[in-house]
This record gives sequence, structure tokens and C-alpha cells, in this order.
Amino acid sequence: MKSLRRFLNRLYNSAARREQEERLREEIVGHIALQTDENLRAGLSPVEARRQAMLKFGGVEAMKQDYRAERGLLLIENLLGDLRNAGRTIRRMPGLAAVIIVSLAIGIGVNTTVFSWIQMILFEPMPAVSGAASFLLVEPRTESGGYPGASWLEYRDLQTRVPALRDIVASQMVPFNVGEPGRTERTHGQLVSGNYFSALGLRPAIGRFIRPEEAERPGTEPVVVISYDYWQTRFRGAPEAVGQKVRVNERDLIVIGVAPRDFQGTMVPLKFALWAPATMAPALLGGTRDLEDRSSRAFSLIGMLKPGATREEAQAELSTAMAQFARDYPDASAGIGGEILSFWKGPRGPQRLLISGLAILQGVMLLLLLAVCGNTANLMLARGSTRQREMAVRVALGAGRWRIVSLVLSENMLLALLGASLGAAIAVWGTTALRVAPMIGAFPILFQTRVDELTLAFAILLGVACGLIFSAAPALHLVRLDPQEGLRSGSNTPARNRARKVLMGVEVGLAMVVLIAAALFLQSFRSARQTDPRFQPEGVLLAAYDLSGRNPDEASEREFATRLLERLRSLPDVEAAAIATNVPLDLHGIPARSFTVQGRVRTEAGQDRAISTTVTPGYFKMMAIPLLEGNDFVEMRDKSAPAQAIVNEEFVRRYLNGADAIGRRIQTRAGSFAIIGVARNSVYDAFGEPAQPAVYFSYRDLPAIQGEIHLRTHSGNETALTSEARAVLRDLDPILPLYDVRTFSQHIDRNLYLRRIPARMFVVLGPLLLGLAAIGIYAVVSYAVARRTREIGVRLAFGATSGRVVLQIIRENLGAITWGTGIGWVLAFVISVHAITKGVVNLPVFVGVPAILLGVATLACWIPARRASRIDPMAALRHE
Amino acid sequence: MKQKTDVLQGTLALMVLKTLDVLGPLHGYGIARRIEQISGDLLAVNQGTLYPVLLKLEQEGAIASEWGASENNRRARFYRLTKEGRKQLQAETKDWEQTAAIIGRFFDAKAEDLS
Repeated sequence: MKSLRRFLNRLYNSAARREQEERLREEIVGHIALQTDENLRAGLSPVEARRQAMLKFGGVEAMKQDYRAERGLLLIENLLGDLRNAGRTIRRMPGLAAVIIVSLAIGIGVNTTVFSWIQMILFEPMPAVSGAASFLLVEPRTESGGYPGASWLEYRDLQTRVPALRDIVASQMVPFNVGEPGRTERTHGQLVSGNYFSALGLRPAIGRFIRPEEAERPGTEPVVVISYDYWQTRFRGAPEAVGQKVRVNERDLIVIGVAPRDFQGTMVPLKFALWAPATMAPALLGGTRDLEDRSSRAFSLIGMLKPGATREEAQAELSTAMAQFARDYPDASAGIGGEILSFWKGPRGPQRLLISGLAILQGVMLLLLLAVCGNTANLMLARGSTRQREMAVRVALGAGRWRIVSLVLSENMLLALLGASLGAAIAVWGTTALRVAPMIGAFPILFQTRVDELTLAFAILLGVACGLIFSAAPALHLVRLDPQEGLRSGSNTPARNRARKVLMGVEVGLAMVVLIAAALFLQSFRSARQTDPRFQPEGVLLAAYDLSGRNPDEASEREFATRLLERLRSLPDVEAAAIATNVPLDLHGIPARSFTVQGRVRTEAGQDRAISTTVTPGYFKMMAIPLLEGNDFVEMRDKSAPAQAIVNEEFVRRYLNGADAIGRRIQTRAGSFAIIGVARNSVYDAFGEPAQPAVYFSYRDLPAIQGEIHLRTHSGNETALTSEARAVLRDLDPILPLYDVRTFSQHIDRNLYLRRIPARMFVVLGPLLLGLAAIGIYAVVSYAVARRTREIGVRLAFGATSGRVVLQIIRENLGAITWGTGIGWVLAFVISVHAITKGVVNLPVFVGVPAILLGVATLACWIPARRASRIDPMAALRHE
Repeated sequence: MKQKTDVLQGTLALMVLKTLDVLGPLHGYGIARRIEQISGDLLAVNQGTLYPVLLKLEQEGAIASEWGASENNRRARFYRLTKEGRKQLQAETKDWEQTAAIIGRFFDAKAEDLS
């Protein structure tokens, strides 16, 4: 207690320093006055009385020191003193400090931005839901590793069969057509179990949520909860929204409540607008049998562990339950097991894909930051050497080694933390920019990244780590400093030169890795813009329709597509029209299907797979993909021809060894198809991808519930077709909206959106890093040269040519740089071959980047070397 | 060097507490005079050393201080013993007496007593 109180008092005193000094001064004056009075009374002369009093009091300054030591916290005061000193030092080198702070800020800023993204996916996967990261996915799993989703009846059973989880929640993503016939709008929502909102621990912004009993009996409670954004945009945030009707898929639903502000559903980053009870499924989805049919696996399940339960228990219980289902309902559940997954590993949604990409990005960014640290360390070391004398004086005057270290540390820490604060500001800007993501593909996607406590802590941690890293070398050096040596002028120990050169090599090596990564990235991004996709996206309008709400059968799907196509082709400005299930270069990729093809004998285990898409006749003409052999699909209304398939060149090469493909049969789960044509290879998933085998099926044989309309214009103004296309669809079915209308070029841009963010980062960071490396090398070389002025002078005086001097200086320094570059190059090569381009070596990058880096390095050496070679030998010899 | 100061400070602190206990509130000079009168040499030269001790005691809560007027009508800081200080004084007096008694006995002991 006593020591605590003393500590607090001291803390207070440290703060109230001036006041305390004043008090002591007054006490001393008073004391001496009293003693003087006393002495006067004893008969001394006034002058002598005062002199004696002061003598008796003793050394005032020494006492004040004791007093101060007693009064405050020496450690903190020293620290504050150091910080003040650091502030002064930094002010004395504004240029250098600016370079260091800004480069650190950018390094920390980009790292923090990437981290905010990762941390959102890992730790806060559901905005507005606290502790969302601890939710687990309960996923049925097929033998081949697919996650088909759970059926409603399965969900009801699992609620009691997996006691290790409490409140398992079911949800199904559904597209809703909202509004009156003819003016419908496509909106996404979720059909949810009755415990959905309570299990997520949410409170409504206004109104109430779905009650458990409202999701018990099918079709009884036509209620809906709307999202905050939907409330704001459609009801202008009016409280009267509760109780109003919304027309959804031709049913009136009553709005009962509004979800909290940031809540966007349980399939992040998808952003939903409506939540209705799962039991409304038959009413909303045209009489679907989702609620009775065990093979209709439409729901995703999530749950949280009960206190004390383990994930292993939950997994064991789930496996037992699924095995039981497989025995009880072999038709629907045979061969289907179950798996408990962490939330971020969700099989539906881009998290898993994003995380690996982001991890690579974060790795590269951390390397970049490390290179910045190396650079800073070098600058500080070079500068520290010029301060050698100052430090030597401090040591000679009795400063302890640790005081010196703390002095250096506080300077660097101050720099690092200034950099970190600026970096955090950059991160705030960066994460806000990320939030403004557009709709990607057919789905509204929102990443609610933000800079929160954890992200800020990350930024500060990076700052501290950087500070420590680039303090280490100068601090170590100064601790070992011999004051006598330091006071002597012009001394320069070889060990330190080596340290600087090693640092320079490391920095250049790191820069090499990052620059190659950046160049590879930019190259792939740029080639994406320039590569020929081997079809013609110009002048094509894309739009989607979806019959889900109608619950149609195959015949009506086929009929719908046929009639739609006929109407579209009759539009005056339409040159060609087609419908396909997938559009190439989609962010979500095109699914692959497994198959067996006649005449192919597999030697290894597993199944042949190929990109698989279903198209209408006329698709190849519309896309300008030539058919190399055979013919296009027969017309939609043709009922005589057998089921058909068209394959691409790569398919023939890979699976048929280039033999004649026409007439062979392909067997898939959907049936048997005769190959009637071979199409030229084109790009499917990404620009620059290796050729992929693909199979096209016909809408006539495999009609689909949704379709992407492709329209090529005569005039070249594809956007003008939008309203006509809308009108055509409205005529066919007044409640079906045409959605996701975009030109093919916009579609491609969207696909590149996620790549554009890091590409932009690299465009800024690449040159910055190159500049930093140049500054670092320049500083080291010019410092080394300055130290050797006298030596150079002697050599010049003895007749060395300036060219030779320059050459020698460059050669000495380029050694370390070449080493660094070489190691960095090998590292980058290995990483890129294994992780990024997967075997494809991008020669221009791997030759060009080192050439540029070495060129810049040589230039950075040459400038100070040239300056040194021009000195007047006489002046140099008189140097110091 | 350090140790010597500590011992001096410790003794001084005890003397300050005792002085305040006996004489009631006093300013720094008064305390110094009193200790000088009783201990002779200890503070004859360095009266100033008293102030760090006063500060330490105040921070520990053993004494409190406030401004008042001195005999010659100057502003002076008056120190007084707190309840806690009194307790501390009692405890330390006891400790000191015990220590003194033990040390005294040691010094009194003759060679044969220790064998």
C-alpha cells in the first residue's frame, strides 16, 4: 500500500513538476531566512549571518537533485526527457524523418488495410452479430467432397440429434421478385428458421423479429423482416413501415420488423434485404417441396457450441446422425456424411478463396514493410555514425549504456509510431475504399471492412516491431562504442561497414522479391486487359432471368427459353441472340462436370472433368467462337434429334488424343450425349489461364431454371437494347424482372475488380520501394565515401584517375547488392513457380526487374562515387 | 555510498517523526533546529538533506504539510504527523529498540559468551 501510494504521488508529482519546484524553492528561501534571523540574533553581521546560514544549509543543487529523485519517477522523467530529445533530433533532420515516416506509413497502411480485410473474414464474419466467428457450419458432405446443403427435415432432426450445438439455425438464399406485376425488382433474401434472429443475438431496429411458432406450419404466417438499408431506401426509414405489405413473388408479406443497421445476413459477404420464415417456402417458391423432400437440400445450417461442449463432440454427434439418416432414408441421404466447419471456411461464398489470396498479399506486404525497415535501419545507421561523437561525449560524461540505448530507441520509436499513426490514417482511407465495392456478379456483395481496435492494435504492433527492428543495428553499435575511439575523428571500424553492407544487401533482396511479385501481378492484370479472350465481347449486352419463384418443370423451362429467344431475335437492332447458363470470366467461375467419354480409357484413378455450360443454338455464332468441326445444336423446337454436346479443342486433345470426336458419346449424371461439333478454345475463368477442356450442352436437352441472355447489336450500342429486352421479358411474364443487366465489357471489369485493388496497391508501392532502395543505397555509399575522403584524396594525389576511383567504389558496394539481388531473385522465382503462376515463368519480369533494380542501384552508387572522385586532392588531405 | 545515505535517511526519517510527535506541527527549519539540538553533528552542515526526507515521508503519507506563517511572519510550510505516521513511528520505535537492544547485547558480549 505504502509503495503504491508513493508511486501515485510520484506520478502526480511528475506531472505537477513546476509547482513542486516552486514549493521547494520557497521552502529553501524560508529556511535560510529563519536561520539568518537566528544568526543575526546571535550577533553576526547581516552579510555573515546569511553566509553562515547558507553554509549550514549545504549544497542546494545536490539537495535539489535528491529531492527530484525522491519526488518523481526517474524512469518516466528520463523517458519524457528522451522523447523531448527525440523530438528535437527529428526536427533537426526534417528531410530524413519525412522519408522514414512516410515510407513506414505507407508500409503500415497497406498492411493494416489488408489485415482489416482478413480480420473481418476471420474474426467478424457477420457484421452486427457479436461473436460471429464462433459460429460453426453444419454441412452435409458427399463422398466426393461436395457440400450439397441440408434439407429442412434433416435440419429439424439435427436440432435434437446434435446436442453439443445449441440453436442450430437454418437459412436458404432465395431471389425474390418484389413489387407489382410489370414493375418487379429482383431482391435477395433468406428463408430462415424461427430461431434465426434470437440465436444470432440480434435486436430489431424497430418492430419485432420472426417468432419460432411462425416457422412451424407451412404458409400460415406471411411475415417478413427487412434490412435496415431496405427500410431506409424503400420506406425512407419511416416507423410506419412496420405493418405495411410488401409484394414478394406475388404474395403479400407483412413487414414485422427491421434488422439492425449493419446486419446483412448469414452468408457474408452477400447482402440480403428480406428475411421470411422458412415455412413460407411453398407459398413463395411456387409450391416447392423443400419442406417435405429430404433430397431437396436447400438450407445452410450454422450453430454454436454449448458451453463446455467441444467441436469433436459435435462432429461425432453429427456423423452418427448422418449415418442414421443414410440408413433410414437411402434415397435421399445415402453416401452423405456431415462435417463441422469453421465459419470462414464456408463452401458457399468467396471467403475461402479470398483468404488464401489475402494471405499471399499480406505476406508480400509484410516483406515490403521489412524492406522499408531495412532501409530505415541503414539510414539511421549512417546517420548514427555521424552522431558518434555526440554519443561518445554522453558516455564520457557518465551516461549508462542503457541510457544511450533508450535514447536511440526513443528516437526510433517516435519515428515508428508517427509512421504507424499516419499508416492507420491511410488504412482508414483504404478500408473505406474497400467498403464501396460494387455488386459483383448477380449478387449484392458488401465487405464491411473497417479499422477497429484490433486493426489499430495491429498497426501499432507493426509500428513497434518496425521501431525495434530498425533500432537494433544502431543501438547495438552505440552500446559497443568506445568513448575514446568515438572522440577521435575519422575512425571507422570495418565491422560496421560490413553490417551496413549486409543490411543493404538484405534490403535490396527484399525489394527484389516484392518488386517481382508486384510486376507479376501487374503483368497478369494488364494482360487481362489485352489478351484476346478468343470470343468477341464488344457490342454484347448481358442480362439474367430466373424462374425460381415459378417452380417450373423442365418442359416449361425449355418453352420459356425458346419463346424468349424468338422474341429477342425479332428485335430490330439484335444481330444475334443466345441464352447460356454461364458467362465466361465470371467472378464465381464456371462449374466443371465429371463425365466419361467413349473411346477414352483412364489410366489413373479419379474422374475426367470439364468446364460445363448449357447454351442455346446460335450461341457460338453470337460469341464469334468458330466451330472447327461439325455443326451447331439443332433448333430448340426439334424433338427428333438425340441429346447433343459440343466439345472444345482442348477436350479433344486431352481426352481423345486428338482423334475424331464427332459421333462419340459423352456420359454424365444428366444422361448420354452425342458429340456433334468441336469449338475453338476460348477463355473461360480467367485471362491467361492454360487451355481448359469444356463441354457445351444444349438448352433443348438440359433446360435450366435461370439463364443469361446474350444480345449482339447491329448498331454497336448495346446498352440501348436494355429497355427492349425488359419489355420482351415483361410480355412473357409480368412478374419476372430482368436483372444484372450489363455490357460484356462491364462484366469483364467486374471480374477484375478483386484483382484491381492489389494492382493499384502495387502501382504505388513498386516505384516507392524502388525509390526507397535507391535512397538507402545512396545514403550508405555517400556516407562510406565521405569517411574515406582522405584516402581518396591520397590516391588521386598519387595519380589515380577519377574513373578508377568511381569504378572501385561502385564495385565495392555492388558486391553486397548483387548478393542481395541474387538471393531475392531465387526466392521470388521459387515462390512464383510454386505458388503464383504455377509453373509458368514470366521471363520479361524475371529479367527486367533485376535489370531495373541493379540499374537503379548502380546509379545510386555512382552519384556519390562520382562526387568523391571530383574532390580536390589538397582539400581532401586537409579534411578534418 | 548509496547505503550510507539510506541509513542516514532512515535515521533522519525516524527523528523527523519523533520530533513532530513531541512538538506538534513545525516547519522545516524548526525540525532541523530540533534535530540539531539533540543529535549535534548530524545536521550541523547539511540541513538541506532534510527536505528530500520530508518529501519521502509526505509521499508515504506519514506526514502532511500545509502553508502557514512562521515566527518572523514569513510564509512557511508546516509539517504535522498523520495518524498513519503515528502508527509508523510506534512500529519503528519498537523495531529500533529491538535492534538497538540486540546490537547492544552483541557489543557487550565477551569472547567467552560466544564460544
